[in-house]
Amino acid sequence: MIYTMGIDIGSNFIKLVLMEYSENSKIVDKHTEKIRKRNPTQVADEMVQLMLDKHGLKYENIAYLASTGEGDLVKRKRGHFYGMTTHSRGAHFFYPEARTVVDLGALYVRTIRINQDARVEDYKMTGQCASGSGQFLENISRYLGLSIDEVGEISLQSGNPEVSSGICAVLAETDVINMVSRGIKTPDIIKGIHLSIASRIIKLLGSLKAESPIVLTGGMALNKGMIQAIEETLKEGSKNFIIKAHPDSIYAGAIGAALWGGYRHYKLLEKQAVAI
Amino acid sequence: MKQAAPRLIELVEECKSLAFDLNFSYAKEWKKQSPDRLLVGYLPIYVPRQIMHAANALPVGIMGVGDRKQIIKGDAYYQSYICHLPRGIIEMALDHNLDDFDGFLFPSICDCVRNLSGMFKLVHKGKFTRYFDYPQNFDEHIGGTFYRELLETIINDMHLLNGVNISIEALNRSISLYNKNRKLVETIYNIRQDYPWRLSATDVYHIIRAGMVINVEKHNEILEEVIRYIEEDYGEPMDNIRVIISGSFCEQPPIGLIKSIEMAGCYIIDDDFMLGSRWIQDDINGTTEDPLNELVISFLTKSTASSAIYDVGNPRSARLVQLVKRRNADGVIFCAASFCDPALLDRPELQKACDAEGIAHINFQFHENTGQFKVIKEQAGTFSDSIKLWV
Repeated sequence: MIYTMGIDIGSNFIKLVLMEYSENSKIVDKHTEKIRKRNPTQVADEMVQLMLDKHGLKYENIAYLASTGEGDLVKRKRGHFYGMTTHSRGAHFFYPEARTVVDLGALYVRTIRINQDARVEDYKMTGQCASGSGQFLENISRYLGLSIDEVGEISLQSGNPEVSSGICAVLAETDVINMVSRGIKTPDIIKGIHLSIASRIIKLLGSLKAESPIVLTGGMALNKGMIQAIEETLKEGSKNFIIKAHPDSIYAGAIGAALWGGYRHYKLLEKQAVAI
Repeated sequence: MKQAAPRLIELVEECKSLAFDLNFSYAKEWKKQSPDRLLVGYLPIYVPRQIMHAANALPVGIMGVGDRKQIIKGDAYYQSYICHLPRGIIEMALDHNLDDFDGFLFPSICDCVRNLSGMFKLVHKGKFTRYFDYPQNFDEHIGGTFYRELLETIINDMHLLNGVNISIEALNRSISLYNKNRKLVETIYNIRQDYPWRLSATDVYHIIRAGMVINVEKHNEILEEVIRYIEEDYGEPMDNIRVIISGSFCEQPPIGLIKSIEMAGCYIIDDDFMLGSRWIQDDINGTTEDPLNELVISFLTKSTASSAIYDVGNPRSARLVQLVKRRNADGVIFCAASFCDPALLDRPELQKACDAEGIAHINFQFHENTGQFKVIKEQAGTFSDSIKLWV
């Protein structure tokens, strides 16, 4: 058994996991930190140090510290893996039967088709428009005076969702302002936003030729309203996909990085042995 | 973990400002020191800088404006389907950045650069302007004679301006200085082959590109100092793949692109960015009675693999494969400027050779002023992951 670490630098949050890597790898500890207006490099470094101290470890005891996301902001590391690769591995760790991964990030949504070994076979992602992203949802919740953590539950209370523009964040935000002035109930506005994001995801899944089961990862993956909206939209299109979201889904990228790090550690050792 | 020496960081910064000084302040200051000094500008890829050095002229590489100058007038000179390099250079000329230059050489790499030589004549830039046509016949008596006459023409151009007669000793000395320069550059690449984390690809790029705009004596001093520092052990290796960049020999990629490739997990262990400074693949004899002939012979027999050279009998595809093996690279990134005919027309042959040898490769295109690297970073990142995890 070796220790590995994975650190996922997102645009809003930094996610860190410490893992015991073996044939039956397991999470030892995990931690999330909102960046706010701080220097992400410093936040990441402090998170790693705190995690090491908490478990009585030194950096040298970590066989492989891997970054993902905006990995160049992490100064102390052994390697970096691309986000798509790590989210796929993370989803596979949660549900080995996963064949499609939907990474619901702050700035984009990415749908990834993977094989039984978590290898990426194809992907489709949203463009530069922000309307399919977690950041957009967070902005809307702020306008409505809600915390991002409560929008999922509130969305479930909707009886008559008011669908907004699914194309442009600016138009959608204008829609929301109009809805508020028209007296539309908050749950119906939120549900409408979820349905709008869901419709974009379903389009991506269609062009990806997605296979079931679909595993949701990233910051929005535990948003119950979002999951319900995706399921409803899929049903409307008569698509029978199983949707899964793990309680640790926000850590999928970091977990994937730590697992691939462990794999690389042994691969590099093998290479060295061959060279000797 | 030991860090890079502060002096090394200082040297890189110095090279960075020299490399991207579009006013060529160092060269202009050098010229002011003596009335018989000349500035001869040259475009990518290769000119034998030794003849200029021996004639008391400073060869100055004009490698494009990159993302540091807005092109307004240049766009009026070239169609939209032409690469970015010549429009930036004509913009510089029209903005008087090149006014102190005495002459310009336009090596034969493509029609756009050939046309640029004509435009320089039309706008009366420089006291002489030469299209530098490489021989494509490698017989000493045919291509060699042609090439020698071309060099003699340029020597005469300079002589008419400053009256300097190039002596055998002076040309031999210049040959030796540039031999040393190429060896030092190669030493940096060799050290990076084993320890790529000691100096980033962008640092190497700045250091080599600075050599295009300063005198060789000073550049050799800088290179020697850099080598002293990078021979020492510092920094920490990253689990990156090792790649060779191919196709960026004329229009130069933006620094952000080079940085993005490295950040995506690829150590660039060889490239063709400043190919002209590494053109001749061995020492040139600097001890003979006919040094000009040595320059001619070295061009005919020791030129590097390049799209500017007719390569039947020694195909560049085979030479790329050899380079991959020699450098122990994991793959090749074909990275050419948009509309760069020489690089893009060669690419299928080079890719075919890589496929035949099982060498992984990806490709993309850039403009020298490209500002968005997200897609390129994604491509390079997935390329790196696919090699690290699945090969």
